[in-house]
Amino acid sequence: MLKKLTALAALPLAASIWSAAALAQSKEPVTIGAIEILTGPNNKYGIAIKNGFDLALDSVNKNGGVLGGRPLAIAYEDSAGNKDQAINAARQLIGRSKVPLILGPTLSNEMFAAGPVANERKIPIVGTSTTANGITAIGPYVFRTSLPEADVVPVTLKTAQQKLGIKKVAVMYGNDDAFTKSGYDVMKGALEKLGIETLTTETFGSKDTDFSAQLTKIKSLNPDAIVVSALVEAGSGILLGKKALGFPEKVRVIGGNGLNAPKVMEIAGDAANGTLVGTPWFVGKSDPASEKFVDAYKAKYNMEPDQFAAQAYDTLFIVAKAINDAGAAEPEKIKDALGKVKYTGVMGPFSFTANRDPAETSGVVVIEMHDGKFRQFN
Amino acid sequence: MPAFLDDFLFSYQSLIYSLGINGLLALSMYVVLAIGQLSLGQAAFMGLGAYTSALLTLKVGAPFPIVLLAAMAVPALAALIIGAPTLRLSGVYLALATIGLGEVLRIAFVNSELTGGALGLSGIPEKAGYTIIFGSLALALIAFVLVSRSRIGRAMEAMREDEVAAGMLGVDLPRYRISALVVSAMLAGLAGAFNAHVSSFISPNDYGFDAAVTILSFALLGGIGSPFGPVVGVVILTLLPEVLRPLHDFRLVFNGLIIVIAVLFMPHGLLPWRIGRTGARA
Repeated sequence: MLKKLTALAALPLAASIWSAAALAQSKEPVTIGAIEILTGPNNKYGIAIKNGFDLALDSVNKNGGVLGGRPLAIAYEDSAGNKDQAINAARQLIGRSKVPLILGPTLSNEMFAAGPVANERKIPIVGTSTTANGITAIGPYVFRTSLPEADVVPVTLKTAQQKLGIKKVAVMYGNDDAFTKSGYDVMKGALEKLGIETLTTETFGSKDTDFSAQLTKIKSLNPDAIVVSALVEAGSGILLGKKALGFPEKVRVIGGNGLNAPKVMEIAGDAANGTLVGTPWFVGKSDPASEKFVDAYKAKYNMEPDQFAAQAYDTLFIVAKAINDAGAAEPEKIKDALGKVKYTGVMGPFSFTANRDPAETSGVVVIEMHDGKFRQFN
Repeated sequence: MPAFLDDFLFSYQSLIYSLGINGLLALSMYVVLAIGQLSLGQAAFMGLGAYTSALLTLKVGAPFPIVLLAAMAVPALAALIIGAPTLRLSGVYLALATIGLGEVLRIAFVNSELTGGALGLSGIPEKAGYTIIFGSLALALIAFVLVSRSRIGRAMEAMREDEVAAGMLGVDLPRYRISALVVSAMLAGLAGAFNAHVSSFISPNDYGFDAAVTILSFALLGGIGSPFGPVVGVVILTLLPEVLRPLHDFRLVFNGLIIVIAVLFMPHGLLPWRIGRTGARA
């Protein structure tokens, strides 16, 4: 008898579980695609970005998902940093997974290859880490949430001019890499605009390890600062070479986005002290939303987030908002909604310009390397 | 076209294109290996073809057939010019000299404003399609089969087995060497032009040392007994990374593992057999 009773009591319970499951089933997830470098030498960027997406995804789904309770999901494809694989990944996400939107790819070079594919099929593609010039010129379906170098570098140089009174500089850049070359183009334009005199422009290869020839020449010209567009390895080498040649301490290195990495301080040690870079975000930013993000990131991944993770984190909220505003998981509607979206995240207020670049540059902070840590400069 | 086929072709379009383009590159490697020369300039010739074609399309707006002819002519000319001094070398010295050629070209592309420097050239219209890419590959394959059944093919094989003996028997060694290099350059240049006109973006680093080694590995994995060997190598090396995509983080490990096993157990390539000759008796 008792057995029968418990069985009877269990019945409605079972039914309620079943119906909850059925309800969740009826809410089909909205799956968007993401192409990032998850394997190979540059995967530190891709993994930081994926972590940022996943953290934001947890939060979006905890708060009811998108489109009235449908969970949001991300289908990741690895590009391994190779443009052909980025194209293949984009084609598969569009042709087979039928995603209404693609996040990524990680590198500007990959975007130049994969962007046209998405644009041709009228699928919005949103770069979160592509800073080179001309990305959004690919077509009307190509967006980016990362501030291009053209927005960040002028702020850095202007701050240095105002606070340090810099009048004449030497410029160094890696001329065999798309990222550092495009950074240099921006620096050149910004220096001219600010009326800072360029004493000399020296180039190097991204795999070079000895910069003493260029630095000796620069030292003899006695500049107020050295403006450098380099990736981490070469940039660190320049900082070490500068210290070895005994430059006066007030001659700072002002870097582009390539030097915006804690790794530089790891390699160059105290030779990195005083180096200035501009960044859309940094881990020590004093802002409640930003601090909350850093805590959540540390709790989930047991390491500090970088700017790539922060940009990815904000981007996922922006995309989720656009999908909600669109009212359907349809590429065309999402594209229109993205253009109008307004969002305030860890990097500050965000909206797109008519050219699908970030409109706000007020979030840019200039930071200084000091004894192995970044600290705010302006 | 039914929707599912359309989606399939869209999803795998660039992969299928790569099969054809890499096939042409593998054949360009095969021509030089077939006479026993280790020349690694294919990536450089491919870059020359890609840049020539992209510049003609973007800056001049030349019609595609003319673009393709130029993309074959320019590398062929380069091969003629550099052939004279470098073909006196052989073996690993020739390999080193041709790697050097690749580096020189890469640095020239990086430093030239015309070629867009390190930023490369983007926005190249998609002009190559299935017909022209696979038509070219089929034509090249047929030509090679016919050649290897002919007197020229026999001379080439003799050179590969023993150059001195072949020379003593009256094979005009310098002429064969330069012809092989020119044909190799033309095929690589054509592949470069197709590559530029299907991926819409080219940059100097696409045609560096890595590319040279990849092209060599197509031929070595497939085997150089017949022109079909390198093409089989291409099919495997091009498809593997995509077929193994579901393995996620482990795919590069498996990719490498499969290649190592293939090379260990089949040192003469997957297709070691030669083309039978008319009238040949064993």
